[in-house]
Amino acid sequence: MAMTDPILSESAAKVRLRRQGEVLRSLMTNPTTALGMIIIILLLGMAIFAPYLMPPNIPDPYQMPRDWGATRMPPGTPGHPLGTTNQGGDVLYGVVWGSRSSLQMSLIVVSVTVVIGVVIGSIAGIVGGWIDEALMRVVDIFLSIPELIFALAVAAILGPSFTNIILSLCIVFWVKYARIMRAQIILIRQSDYVQAARVMGDSRFNIFRRDILPNASTPIAVQATLDMGNIVLVGATLSFIGLSESGIAEWGVLVSEGQAGIASGRWWASTFPGLMIFLWALAFNLVGDGLRDALDPRTEGKR
Amino acid sequence: MQLRDYIVRRLMILPVLIFGVSIVVFALTRIGGSPIGVYLSHEMNADEVAALEERFHLNEPLVVQYWYWLKGALSGDFGYSGVASAPVSEVFWPKFAATMELSVFSAIVAVWLGLWLGVFAGTRRNRWQDHLTRVVAVSGASLPLFWFGIVLLIVFWANLGWFPVGRSTADLWASIPHPTGFYTLDAILAGNVQAFLDALWHLFLPSITLGFGAVAIITRMMRSALVEELQQDYVDAARAKGLPERLVLKRHARRNALVPTITVIGLTIAFLMQGAIAAEIIYRWPGLGRWMADAVVRGDQATIMTYVLFTSVLFLFANLIVDIIYAKLDPRVRLGD
Repeated sequence: MAMTDPILSESAAKVRLRRQGEVLRSLMTNPTTALGMIIIILLLGMAIFAPYLMPPNIPDPYQMPRDWGATRMPPGTPGHPLGTTNQGGDVLYGVVWGSRSSLQMSLIVVSVTVVIGVVIGSIAGIVGGWIDEALMRVVDIFLSIPELIFALAVAAILGPSFTNIILSLCIVFWVKYARIMRAQIILIRQSDYVQAARVMGDSRFNIFRRDILPNASTPIAVQATLDMGNIVLVGATLSFIGLSESGIAEWGVLVSEGQAGIASGRWWASTFPGLMIFLWALAFNLVGDGLRDALDPRTEGKR
Repeated sequence: MQLRDYIVRRLMILPVLIFGVSIVVFALTRIGGSPIGVYLSHEMNADEVAALEERFHLNEPLVVQYWYWLKGALSGDFGYSGVASAPVSEVFWPKFAATMELSVFSAIVAVWLGLWLGVFAGTRRNRWQDHLTRVVAVSGASLPLFWFGIVLLIVFWANLGWFPVGRSTADLWASIPHPTGFYTLDAILAGNVQAFLDALWHLFLPSITLGFGAVAIITRMMRSALVEELQQDYVDAARAKGLPERLVLKRHARRNALVPTITVIGLTIAFLMQGAIAAEIIYRWPGLGRWMADAVVRGDQATIMTYVLFTSVLFLFANLIVDIIYAKLDPRVRLGD
């Protein structure tokens, strides 16, 4: 029954709309955020159009093609603009198709962890009691182990493969979302408008859907944006250490493959793929940072 | 709540968390397969394998296995490291010393540069210097350390030949005794200037690699704390009485901004521990990080467990100490839930 008053709901919608406009304006005018946006668009374009940029390797496009007649070629070699690795892998191919691997990894991990986190956080926040207590202790334990080290241990136990890296990141990265979700529920449940909705007889589910979820989505969106970059960074570190299959078109694997050549002056095979990891993480961090500032009304005017 | 009660309560939760971490890690390693994988060879027959399993209690239920592990760990026995070909407890200290030495020097780089950049940006808010610092700080946080280390090696080792790889020059390392395991300290204790310089020379690139990554955390915290402080009334008061801006910053704002910045020490330690893995691989640094990297690739469970447990304990204690210092320095901090 609550919020059926047309005047009330309209003004709430208006406020939300105006706020969204402010957020968007503040995002666009911040030069560092704009820079991050541009890099993200370029990287996503590269991932989406990879088959048109570099013809896919048959049968598995995520396997590096090997040109054994042209190993260790420097950048600028005809047919290999960014050079080749010790094993004749085309660096440009790895850079382009690596963006697809990274996009897959970050999208899968972020969506899975957001869902797990939101569900667990909601259960803890709404049900409360000993279930909340138990879930939060699990969260505390997970947060006691530094992220990369935890992911490293899990991936090591699952065995070396790119899929297992994704799986291990899913196991490690949901915790923050559960925390955010639970905190938001507790915060919002005590707020006046939810009290009002409850007094007016609104169902629990409606309150959750209309008041709690939209409010919690803000900090979750910020965290998800930051994680899009962070996950590629951690995932690439795991594959660099050797927890992926060797020979796949993934940036961390390529940096590792190129490492052997640096003593003999072959700088390109590590440098370019690593630069891509850096740009990917940088772009999402810049946008995530900008998003956080724009969405947090307290920082308005301070920045 | 009184500070003392708070400390006591936190100290009581700590063992529970450590216990929880040990269960999580133990469960994980056992899911991954038999811990005696390192000892098995193709020549062994089924009886020999069974004998080994019995010797390490692997035929017992998981809870019992955990009990045996815990009993061992509490008495200092963390198992046998297949990678190091020695008991974990025997090889731990020298590797720990190597990692700590690297971390301390990286922390010096990070704190010095981070505080400086934070003040630089905080006093020039929303000007181009502030935006530039922000990009530098975010870059530090976005940098794949393993790649940054390789790039530095390409420039300063492969091309210019200014800096070495590894931890020491073998002859110099062998020329002095190593009571502490810290190369710099040992060199000072032995009074050997040449060895000391050798230590610094080897520390230079890895410390910059690892330190630069941590700069971001400190810079951002210092900047926002300083921005906050500069809007406080006491700063206006100091300005109103005619104190030069330089002294307002030095005597008042900067000092107070350091208090909230202390809270990121825990994060920085976690970052250094994680980053040390990459830095140690790249620079062939004989520390805990490289040991762990070898262990994960070869499935050395005793090492993985010890390492994860150790870093978690370190991380938990660092956070506890930081919280206590923070509560002591800033009486406004509420010690509730």
